[in-house]
This record gives sequence, structure tokens and C-alpha cells, in this order.
Amino acid sequence: MNDERRLEEEQSDAALVEQARSGNPAAQGSLVRRYHGAAYGVALSVTRDEDTAQDVVQDAFVKAFAALDRFRGDASFKTWLLTITANEARGALRRHKRRRETVLDDAKPVAAAGMDPAEAAIVAGEAARARGMLSDLPEKQRLSVSLRIDEGLSFKEIGAVIGSSEGAARVNYFHGIRRLRELMG
Amino acid sequence: MNQVDEVCVSVREALPDFAAGRLEKADREEVSTHIAACAMCQEELQLVGLLFAARATAPRGLDDRVLDAVTRKPRTAHRPWWGLSAAAVAAIALGVGMSSDVGAPTAPSGNDFATEFEEGEFWVSDDGMLAGAPSLDALSDEALMELLEELAAETTGGAA
Repeated sequence: MNDERRLEEEQSDAALVEQARSGNPAAQGSLVRRYHGAAYGVALSVTRDEDTAQDVVQDAFVKAFAALDRFRGDASFKTWLLTITANEARGALRRHKRRRETVLDDAKPVAAAGMDPAEAAIVAGEAARARGMLSDLPEKQRLSVSLRIDEGLSFKEIGAVIGSSEGAARVNYFHGIRRLRELMG
Repeated sequence: MNQVDEVCVSVREALPDFAAGRLEKADREEVSTHIAACAMCQEELQLVGLLFAARATAPRGLDDRVLDAVTRKPRTAHRPWWGLSAAAVAAIALGVGMSSDVGAPTAPSGNDFATEFEEGEFWVSDDGMLAGAPSLDALSDEALMELLEELAAETTGGAA
């Protein structure tokens, strides 16, 4: 990693946002690299379609940077961006009016150290099955579960993204987990 | 709720951070100790661990694609007047919302006007979204209860 890249990655979101506001492409690049994965997770969770999710992420970043002057910093940049992404994804869903199922085969392989291949394959299958079931939950539940587990967002932050209170986000998360436990048997 | 239940609730809230290695050492040890003695939390950790391990990862090259789009000349709300849709021009030509006739019927409301166009036609309609979703923290208990009932209904619907 070169020094410039390391410096960018060590900068706080607030500093990067400030630079991105003035059109600094390096700062924009850092924010994109830092959060495109989280945005993709949210977009995929809402749309359940990989191609649409990529389009959504692109549009969400374009809108976010175009509106950076209006970012007040009440929430973190990440929460703000993910809120835009979730709304953009809902808009994409409404426009497309159709959904394609996410290809579960693309689930990341899961294997613990020391696990034999057969056991690893079983675990990977279970992980893909869990993700598949997650995608069948109501939108707010699957977003709450994804954002809490994948991104480590607090329930307050999740509430901002899904348009609910902190309490409702917590309820959504536990509803989702309980349902998944039932479905997984 | 007894003390054991409270610990379980607290631990379950922390399980995502535990599974993802996001907890500080002291918290991690506390969760570990509880999990070792609690079958229910062990079971939930297994599920949370599976979900985390199989989380979605962005396709290779998506960041470059996004950067390309961001650095291109953006589609902004400062669309020139000649960029207005034919429908919008027609609406303006018809004097929608611009009547100077005091005695005329009330002009269509903003919402009525908006429904005449395809979704996404007007960037200005996205402004509220860009400011972030409205916080519902200020909602009354009654409204929150309705929301919770809706959530319960959603859960039931998901089971169907």
C-alpha cells in the first residue's frame, strides 16, 4: 500500500467528507472504497438482485456526492449513505416491478481453520441456506439483520436507515432472528 | 424478566459484534463465558456466525465503476430548462399552478402535480430522501404501537 493510500484510509470520515465537498477526487475515492461494500449489502438486501444492486450503489453514491453540501453530519456519513442507498433501492424495486432471486451459489465460502473439506462444505451450505432464508423475510427485518450483523450498526443507526425508531429496529432484528431460527430448525 | 434473561438479551444484542470480532477483549470474554453455559445463546451464535460468514461482498470492480460515475459530469437538479420533460413543458404551458385568476378553482396540489409524471422524473422530489429518512423517534407511543403491530403482522405474513 502506498503512503498516499494509507493516509487516505487513516483519515476520518468527517475529514474525507469535507474534502469531497470541494470535489477532491482522492477523498471521494476513499469514501467509495470504504463504503461501497456496505452500500452493496443494503442494496442487495432490498432488491435481492445483484445487477440492480450494483446500479443502486452507483446511483446512491452519485446522489450522495451531489448532495454533500446538505449533509449536516447529524448521523455518520455511513448511516447517511446507507439511508440514501436503501431509499434508492426501494425506488429501483418500484421501477422494475420484478425481482430475480439472488444467486445463492455466490455465498461466500465458509470454513473454519482446521475444518475438513466435507465439514466445510456442509457449513457453507448451511450459511447459504441461512442467507437464502434471510432474503425471504420482510424488508425491514432482513435489513435490520443485515445491517446489525454485516455492518455492526447500532439499532439507532439501523432505525435511521430503515425509517424506524431505534426500538422498532431492535424489534425487527429480533423478529428476524427468531424467524430464521425457526426456519433453520 | 429475571437476571438470567436480562443477561441473555444483552448477550444476544452483542452476538453480531462477537461473531464479527468487533468486541473489545473484556466484552468478548464476558460473552464467551455466558455462551459456554447457555445453550440458547450458543444456538443463536451459530446462526449469527453463519449469516456473517456468508454476508454479501461487493463484486470486483464495483468501486471503480462507482468512481467513474461519480467523477463523470453528474446528473444534477440544475437541469437546464430545455431539459424539462415534454410533460413538464406541457404542464407549464397549461399554466398549472400559475393561474392569476383569483376566482379560479384551486390549482392542483404538489402531490397531484407529481402524480402526473413517472417516478424519478423530478430530482427535486428526492431532496427529502437525501436529507435522510425522517426520524421516527419523535413518534407517539400510540404510533409506535401501531408500528409494532404492523411488524407483528409482517412476521405473520412472512410465515405464510
